[in-house]
Amino acid sequence: MSINRKRVVIILNHVDAAVKRETLYIAAAVGIMSALMQSVFLIARHWDYTVLLGNLLSAAAVIANFFLMGLTVQKSLDKDEKDAATAVKLSQQLRLLMMFVVVALGAALNCFNLWAVIIPLFFPRVAVALRPRFGGKTGE
Amino acid sequence: MLELAIGIILGCCALGAGTAMIAGIGPGIGEGNAVAKACEAIGRQPESRGAVTTTMLMGCAVAETTGLYALVIAILLIFVAPGHLVNILMNTLGR
Repeated sequence: MSINRKRVVIILNHVDAAVKRETLYIAAAVGIMSALMQSVFLIARHWDYTVLLGNLLSAAAVIANFFLMGLTVQKSLDKDEKDAATAVKLSQQLRLLMMFVVVALGAALNCFNLWAVIIPLFFPRVAVALRPRFGGKTGE
Repeated sequence: MLELAIGIILGCCALGAGTAMIAGIGPGIGEGNAVAKACEAIGRQPESRGAVTTTMLMGCAVAETTGLYALVIAILLIFVAPGHLVNILMNTLGR
């Protein structure tokens, strides 16, 4: 257990500061927007535990997706152009597969509300669009 | 006859989901090109690595959303649409 923790600490120490900063920003934005979504479900009287579970599943998946994308980009920058492009394409396909599994789980299991799983998938896009308002750069 | 109609509905939903997922290829190609150009830019100006990484991460997040749209459409076609369409068929037939 302690060896695994050490490995995680070593991996996190090698993560680029920009990747950490942007992942934290996306995580914070997803958290705030998730809270807003829960309130909307509560106000509309559609809230139950499935909404919370679906939101948690999806929010964790999108944050993990962004962090993995950041790690891939960081590692790709040390490679030559062709290898970098191939690595990012492969990573994107694998991450899309991961998201498919997560959303399929959310749709197939009754303990998750499907809409609470689907809606948070778009929170990072909204967070990126709002980034210039918080003094950051945008990718657009 | 009813079984055939339900089979056609399920088949068309599966075909639609598969076709929608073609859109998942685009973001991969786009992100790959962006990273390749970023490598080139960092090779020319190594001091701009931090700024390029930040901008590219945000760009990749935007590009990836199109793949997620396709994913959502595919999931809805697989898990939600067949039930609704079969219900409509049953109501039309009065069963």
